[in-house]
Amino acid sequence: MKRSAATCALALGSIVIGLLAVGSSSCSSEPSGGTLDRIRASGKLRWGGDMQGGEPYVSEDPNRPGKLVGFEVDLAEAIAREMGVRAEFVQNDWSNLVPSLERGTFDIAMNGLEVTKARVGRVLFTRPYYIFQMRLMARHGDARVRPSLRSLRGLRVGTLANSQSWEALQDTGAEVLPYEGVEEPYIDLEVSRTDAVLLDHIIADRYGVPHTKLRVVGDLGEGYYSIAVRRGDDGLRTALDRALEAISKRGALRRILRKHGIDDAAQARLATWSDTDTTRMISERAAAQRAAGGTQADVKKPFTWHHFMLFLQGALVTLVVSTAAMALAIPLGILLALARLYLPRTPFAWIAGAYVEVFRGTPVLLQLYLLYYGLPGLWEGLKLDAWTAAIVGLGLNYAAYEAEIYRGGILAVPKGQLEAAWSLGMSTPLAVRRVILPQAFRIALPGVTNDYIALLKDSSLVSVITVVELTKRMTITAVDVRSWLVPGLLCALLYFSMSYPLSILARKLEARLHGESR
Amino acid sequence: MIDVVHLTKRFGDRTVLDDLTLHFDNGEVASVVGPSGGGKSTFLRCLNGLETFDLGSVQIGPDKLEAGGLSHAAIARIRQRVGFVFQQWHLFAHQTALENVIEAPIHVKKVARATAIEKAKALLAKVEMSHREHAYPRELSGGEQQRVAIARALAMEPDALLMDEPTSALDPSRVGDLVALLGRLAKEGLTLVIVTHDYDFARAVCTRSVALESGKVVRDGKPSDVLAETPL
Ligand SMILES: Nc1ncnc2c1ncn2[C@@H]1O[C@H](COP(=O)(O)OP(=O)(O)OP(=O)(O)O)[C@@H](O)[C@H]1O
Ligand SMILES: [Mg+2]
Repeated sequence: MKRSAATCALALGSIVIGLLAVGSSSCSSEPSGGTLDRIRASGKLRWGGDMQGGEPYVSEDPNRPGKLVGFEVDLAEAIAREMGVRAEFVQNDWSNLVPSLERGTFDIAMNGLEVTKARVGRVLFTRPYYIFQMRLMARHGDARVRPSLRSLRGLRVGTLANSQSWEALQDTGAEVLPYEGVEEPYIDLEVSRTDAVLLDHIIADRYGVPHTKLRVVGDLGEGYYSIAVRRGDDGLRTALDRALEAISKRGALRRILRKHGIDDAAQARLATWSDTDTTRMISERAAAQRAAGGTQADVKKPFTWHHFMLFLQGALVTLVVSTAAMALAIPLGILLALARLYLPRTPFAWIAGAYVEVFRGTPVLLQLYLLYYGLPGLWEGLKLDAWTAAIVGLGLNYAAYEAEIYRGGILAVPKGQLEAAWSLGMSTPLAVRRVILPQAFRIALPGVTNDYIALLKDSSLVSVITVVELTKRMTITAVDVRSWLVPGLLCALLYFSMSYPLSILARKLEARLHGESR
Repeated sequence: MIDVVHLTKRFGDRTVLDDLTLHFDNGEVASVVGPSGGGKSTFLRCLNGLETFDLGSVQIGPDKLEAGGLSHAAIARIRQRVGFVFQQWHLFAHQTALENVIEAPIHVKKVARATAIEKAKALLAKVEMSHREHAYPRELSGGEQQRVAIARALAMEPDALLMDEPTSALDPSRVGDLVALLGRLAKEGLTLVIVTHDYDFARAVCTRSVALESGKVVRDGKPSDVLAETPL
């Protein structure tokens, strides 16, 4: 017991150290002026964005793989030219653009980053390069959704996590579903998994409007896309402001927007936009942030009891999803193993073999996507809700691994056991059920326990289909309180307190098994 | 009781049992002897349907096993009529002695659990294993496991018992107990076919000996005659 306590302390210790390292590096920002000097010296403006954000922002040219297209690509080149340097794109997950910027992965972040109250306290924003509307969409004939935030009370509303729409939807009484991609919210809306989607109008027009079952309900307020730079890089921000101003005044900005089909009357204001407008834009949001509980724009929201309860809820979701998935994977795995071993050279064995290879050989993330977003496209009746899809998706995937564990377990039972059962007049199915499987189970148990622990952690993948489990809760909270340290530690602690008892159990079982095999 | 006619068994192109014709009467206690690799174990396994064969037939009571096609129902009936005690016993490792004995009566013969337990306890008493009925196989000595395996086979109320090398894993001092036990079973009318290398044991228990060599019966008769002419 002493040893396992020490192991536990050691493991926690290293988690703490790891997170401290991450925490401190994400807090550090380069000395002021440094970034601009370095950009000039190297002749390279490294800008961060996510190609997966899709058209018309930054995406891969479908005709010329490897080549980027999008209005922000053109804009980045225009700005760089204005500054006398070259633009260099750095690919980064959209949801982590701000932390990566802070860490110094690139000089500026420019990828539909809305000037939100949460971000205003964290990074410096330039003058906007685009003015957008938060556009509300719903299904035709759903009269509950009207052009106001109030109408959304009690409804399920999809949006991008941590976007301006995400912020606007907080405290409206709507059940907000966070998405990572721009297509998924509209797919879910069309198949009635949600009641409405609130997102920037560029996204709505491009990804929502083509769905014939959907309609635009109205616009619920405007917002701005600006370039984000690290706090302290005031010089860089000024240089970017001047470059943007020049591009806007010459009409080059609107030419770019027009080329990508996203120009509209509102963009006329960009040409006459002044630094005072920028200051007002930012202070309005800082004020909103203060009203929301902060005393200063850049003061972190504290990690509260409320967050803690949400974490416990997330842990419960993780536990329920994993356990239910395991409860599906075990019987299915047994059937697959039995088919492969006892029905050799039949279609059953072929199907079981193919099943195992396919589900082990493709990413579970892809399987979740296909199950949740792909199947409804095949047939409406295959529309699973997120929880079902999460449990079924993980369960089907893990069944392949379970099948192999049981197959190994069955093969490890001495042949004589089956012959002894036969010699007593038992049929093969009866012998398998009464004699082989109970022994195979004992052999398989440690492996099954290990899989269960792995599943606890893999279950974080289901956040891609909007299930808010522990890891997702952590990332949402981290943005909210602007620190990864406390949420990260708590998240680690919760995972650990779920998996460690399992691992002790696995070790005990192994020890017992060892004692049994003479 | 057991009628073997023209039994031929090949493994690949090796003929292990070569046109065997043998008959065992009801209540007969026979030993099968012969050099290693002569086909004794294979012969025994054919009598229980654990091994298919290439030519001939094995008739046990009204049921007949034929070369090639073995009917599942016939095999099941034959196995219930002919018990088998393996050289390594193969007790079910996850079950206690008592559970091993009641397993087949409950699940194959559909005997009520209480009845099966009552009967199993009587059988364990008969093989002098009552005191270890709740022990797992791994907790039992070789001789004890063998006794439980005999009780397990007897629980199906067979007419005959096949045993492969029953003394090979026994302490010599325990062989006497086994001789006494088999003597009691023989007196109750059970047919016994025992493969063995232990001639003293064969002499003490059997009324007949069959010598197998290269898959053929080379001698068959009184143990004293057959054993004397068959080198160990
Ligand atoms: N499953 C098998 N596949 C191939 N050959 C086998 C198989 N089982 C047995 N044999 C061969 O058949 C022959 C007879 O084997 P068997 O076990 O019946 O001999 P045995 O008389 O019982 O010998 P021992 O006294 O050593 O136990 C041997 O040559 C053996 O190698
Ligand atoms: Mg043998």
